[in-house]
Amino acid sequence: MFDHIERFYRPTTLREALLLLRKVGKHGRVVAGATDIVTQADRSSRFLIDINHLGLSYIRGNNRGCLIGATTTMAGIELSPVTIAFAGGILAKAASTCGSIQNRNMATVGGNLANASPAADTAVVLLALDAQVRVANSRRSRKIALTEFYSGPHRTVLNGELLREIIIPALPGGGRLGWSFQKLGRTETDISLVNAAAGLQIDARGRIKWARIALGAVGPTPLRARIAEDLLLGNTFNEDLLARAGEAVMREVSPIGDGRASAEYRREMSGVLARRALRECATQAGCKL
Amino acid sequence: MSSKHSIVGKNLQKVDGFKLVTGRPAFTDDIYLPGMLYGKILPSPHAHARIKRIDTRKAKELRGVHAVLTYKDVPRVPHTTAGQSWPEPSPYDTYLLDSKMRLVGDRVAAVAAESRAIAEEALRLIEVEYEVLPAILEIEQATADGAPVIHDEPDATGIHDAQHNVAGYILKEIGNVEDGFLESDLVIEREFRTQRQQHCPIEPHVTISWLDSDNRLVIRTSTQVPYHTRRQVAMILQIPVQRVHVVKPRIGGGFGGKQEMLLEDICGALALATHRPVKIEYTREEEFYMARSRHPQILNIKMGVKRDGTLMANKMTVLATTGAYGSHANTVQGNTGSKVLPIYRTPNMRFECHVVYTNTPVAGAFRGYGCPQGYFAQESVMDEIAYTLGMDPVELRKKNMIRLGDIDELSAQLGEGRKGLPRHIRSCGLPECLERGAAAIDWVRKRQEFSNVGPNGVRPLGERRSPLHPESGHLRRGVGVACSMQGSGIAGVDWAAALLKLNEDGSFNLQVGAADLGTGADTVLGQIAAETLGVTLDKMIVCSGDTDFTPFDVGAYASSTTIISGGAVKKASEKVRDHLLLLASKMLDIPVDNLTCRENMVVTKCECEKSVSMEDLAHFAMCKEKVQVMENASHWNTDSPPPFCAQFAEVEVDTETGQIRVVHLVTAVDLGVAINPMQAEGQSEGAVAQSLGYALTEEMVLDASGRVINPSFLDYKMLTAKDMPKLTTILVETEEPLGPYGAKSISEIPINAPAPAVANAVFHAIGVRFQKLPIRPEDVLRALRDKELSSPQRR
Amino acid sequence: MSDFHLDFIVNGEIKHWTIAPGDLLLDVLRREGYFGVKRGCETGECGACTVLVNGKPINSCLMFAAQAEGCEILTIEGVAEGEKLDPLQEAFLEYGAVQCGYCTPGMILSAKALLAEHPDPTEAQVREALGGNFCRCTGYLKPVEAIMAAARVYRQVGPSGARPKAERRSALLGKKR
Repeated sequence: MFDHIERFYRPTTLREALLLLRKVGKHGRVVAGATDIVTQADRSSRFLIDINHLGLSYIRGNNRGCLIGATTTMAGIELSPVTIAFAGGILAKAASTCGSIQNRNMATVGGNLANASPAADTAVVLLALDAQVRVANSRRSRKIALTEFYSGPHRTVLNGELLREIIIPALPGGGRLGWSFQKLGRTETDISLVNAAAGLQIDARGRIKWARIALGAVGPTPLRARIAEDLLLGNTFNEDLLARAGEAVMREVSPIGDGRASAEYRREMSGVLARRALRECATQAGCKL
Repeated sequence: MSSKHSIVGKNLQKVDGFKLVTGRPAFTDDIYLPGMLYGKILPSPHAHARIKRIDTRKAKELRGVHAVLTYKDVPRVPHTTAGQSWPEPSPYDTYLLDSKMRLVGDRVAAVAAESRAIAEEALRLIEVEYEVLPAILEIEQATADGAPVIHDEPDATGIHDAQHNVAGYILKEIGNVEDGFLESDLVIEREFRTQRQQHCPIEPHVTISWLDSDNRLVIRTSTQVPYHTRRQVAMILQIPVQRVHVVKPRIGGGFGGKQEMLLEDICGALALATHRPVKIEYTREEEFYMARSRHPQILNIKMGVKRDGTLMANKMTVLATTGAYGSHANTVQGNTGSKVLPIYRTPNMRFECHVVYTNTPVAGAFRGYGCPQGYFAQESVMDEIAYTLGMDPVELRKKNMIRLGDIDELSAQLGEGRKGLPRHIRSCGLPECLERGAAAIDWVRKRQEFSNVGPNGVRPLGERRSPLHPESGHLRRGVGVACSMQGSGIAGVDWAAALLKLNEDGSFNLQVGAADLGTGADTVLGQIAAETLGVTLDKMIVCSGDTDFTPFDVGAYASSTTIISGGAVKKASEKVRDHLLLLASKMLDIPVDNLTCRENMVVTKCECEKSVSMEDLAHFAMCKEKVQVMENASHWNTDSPPPFCAQFAEVEVDTETGQIRVVHLVTAVDLGVAINPMQAEGQSEGAVAQSLGYALTEEMVLDASGRVINPSFLDYKMLTAKDMPKLTTILVETEEPLGPYGAKSISEIPINAPAPAVANAVFHAIGVRFQKLPIRPEDVLRALRDKELSSPQRR
Repeated sequence: MSDFHLDFIVNGEIKHWTIAPGDLLLDVLRREGYFGVKRGCETGECGACTVLVNGKPINSCLMFAAQAEGCEILTIEGVAEGEKLDPLQEAFLEYGAVQCGYCTPGMILSAKALLAEHPDPTEAQVREALGGNFCRCTGYLKPVEAIMAAARVYRQVGPSGARPKAERRSALLGKKR
């Protein structure tokens, strides 16, 4: 299957890895968890570069946000006290749904993002958390907002670059925050048919001060439902607003039908999951419907 | 379980358990043969095509390639791949390699090379020019005017009407159904559709073949049918049967998909061509479209009943497809009639079936063998009859079900492929199955509690119910029931033999042709022998499934192993026991009548308590008497005693997402006597898991070109450990006179009724009936929308 | 192509294997005689190829063997101590959790990893641990019961075989070549 691989590199510094990356160009593949590479058996690759030994597996959190190294596994994110406590634990929850335990022990968050599946569960949460990614090649390092990171289905703006870190900024101050991650699959360990992540900040009078809704598997890339967000901002949370937000989401998404689900079902479920997510956020934020 | 026996009826550990939990080499691929080559098949990219030109030169020249075979290189011997007794009741319409392709995945060529990578490269170097032909993908198109003829070759035999793509046709009638409908107060006619389900054994098909030192062709293979395979390979490769040696190691699951001669012929051909060991193992992807699957069916069922619930007529008309080749075409569909309609005492029954070819993945044997399709249809209509008449569904079944002492005449007409024999019901635990199953799921209370229609859950004839009960939020619960019967072996056809040999330490070699495919057959047969001989199971060395060293057995299918192979084992054991008693009589100088076998000894029946250990007796036999105690016996039955089953499902439907969650599945099954209750439960639980997948998630989907679009576990969804509901398994014991120690069978029956039980429970929950499997969430949502639009909500 | 020299530990034994750089761990293990590691799907779904890498269950069909450099692998062959079966193996036999046995090695390893972290698991945790081990024979009920039973035994007498420790790994491997 990978009989064309000529060398397997195990660099121990980021600089070494980036130089190798430049050297091998399009004949090389970066190996983090390897879970996507092996199943996509690309026969043109001649070199593999294992990036698991560059010190990129970490999770650091404080009141200024979270920093997550790209080779942190899903299991690492699922079980870290930092991510469990951060933003209602929705990133930990999303990671915990990424396949089986065996998959989660190997798959990395960087790999999940770089693979650019429209259904990626961590991407949807990270969008809702206003995350950025730090990428680097041998010449430069830059930060890209996750909202700018995807250029199409299974395509990112990475250009010979390595994704090295995920940066989650500080959450809105003042408390009264609520978070939710929702996922729909055919079975419990399925790839998402539709997923949704949301965050709300609601003041004591029930007015929404801050809103984020992100969805996956309902467009060519994971997306933010900005129209629905704008609809919520400044308004009082109630059943009617919830219903309208759900409808806005349904209008905003552009799902396709495939063997897993039809476009109509995905569209309808985007509304259902968005409403469920927002309702959970509101409850957590201390708002009773 | 009550048991008057010391070994039979006990939850003894599997005789092959140690090697399985330690991962010792035991499966087909767990060997390394020096010089072994890797074989691979080039699959057709087209659903229907002829090879205009095929050039294998470049492939042959690739370094490391030892053979490339096309239709030009091998004999053309029409055959069926179905593992059935000769003469097989399936069309002889398959060829080792052919110039015509009849499905995406059909065999274009085969290579053997020194590594998997080289073999795959060799396939890419084979140049093929196809004449692409129009393909038939939909069942209903197969017999249309002007439809392309899939089997237009002159040398196929056994096809009912090749020109119209009809592989098989069945028509049987008891009484007159039209008269029956005239006498009925209520007639319901519905159409049902079932999908292509794949066995998904965790071990894919794998075969290793080589020429041994005597130049005999050895075939080590993951098979349920070693003897049928031997016969078929010999015929196809045109070598004598005696030159073929088939060995069945441990198998990683089969479920009927390995009741097939699938890779053994091509693997053998490559071994003959290269004079090297050759291994072919399917990838999971190949397993989906190049192996076998369950026959998709369109079932039209019309049932007539009197107002008091007495069934008067049952007419089932089936249109099924066997895919591109007719393996098991007649017999699976025959079962849809013969094992489904007669569960109810209906005076007028008619079963008609066309089995057609389509250019789609080949269907074959799959646990249940036609029954899951038929019971989905029949048990759904029974539920609708009960609802319409305002009867409890359990009561409707009790009123009509076949009873102890009945004779099922439909079976006589619908034997598996040949004239059958009437079925006498000599044991029947169905009433108890219904009672105990209903109690286990709390049927009466839940029928009432979950019903949104009235205090008794009883509906007046003709009144419609409202779909959503507003007070319950978006979740709705329901309970449903379905019954089934099966068979135990094919009457007059299935047979088996057993050989039992004493060793000087008082242990025994039990040699059986039977094929344990993980079912626990070796253990069950060992228990039967041990019980009969009065020894403990650890004295049994069970050796099975080797055509040189074990006697004949048709193989593992038709739920035959316990009753047929077990029958042979019991007979052989009795002969050995009798011989042992004679020897003991001589040794102890006590009359034979006063001796019996018990606890690894031969003891006196009377009070004088003389005894000899089996070990000492064996020693006596082999050293003093110089006689090898060894007996064999053959066995078959003239009847196929059905096991019976009642299954109950509790479901929860999320009316916002359409998702159906099965909360509890109760199986109450009359298996005769359970030789090993724990293994029997395990068989039932696994069958239920497959049936729930059939009901809700599993389907092989084809695109417009006939290609399977979901040939992987990512998109062919089976229920995992996280999805399974609570399972309750109740073994109801009856004593079947035709079975060893009263046993019948259990390996298939629990797969027949969970799907209709779930569908019926869903109706109870949301008032919508589903006539198509699998029942997907979007189907549920669409049906709820339609119901909302068509009838106003009532409070 | 340049060979990759793999130094790692399998079932407590140091191994120095020469492999091709693109070799997958599943293929390498089976090639070296660890037939208990099974091939079921090669896409990381069925878990028949499960081995423990530094105590964590992973799908060896998805891992490049070279990634295992310096790691400690446990396969089913390393679970029993000689002929003395691990309580998990005994429980699987006693509770009828083994039918065809093809998924059994993977299940036992997943369970072993679970019980090392959660000695008193709930049924939900057991099912989660088995979520990536497909079984077509049992319907999962008896394997779950067996694992719960083995957990009780572990709590009384302890598991057989120690958990791999990083210090032990580096001590065994010494300096890398």
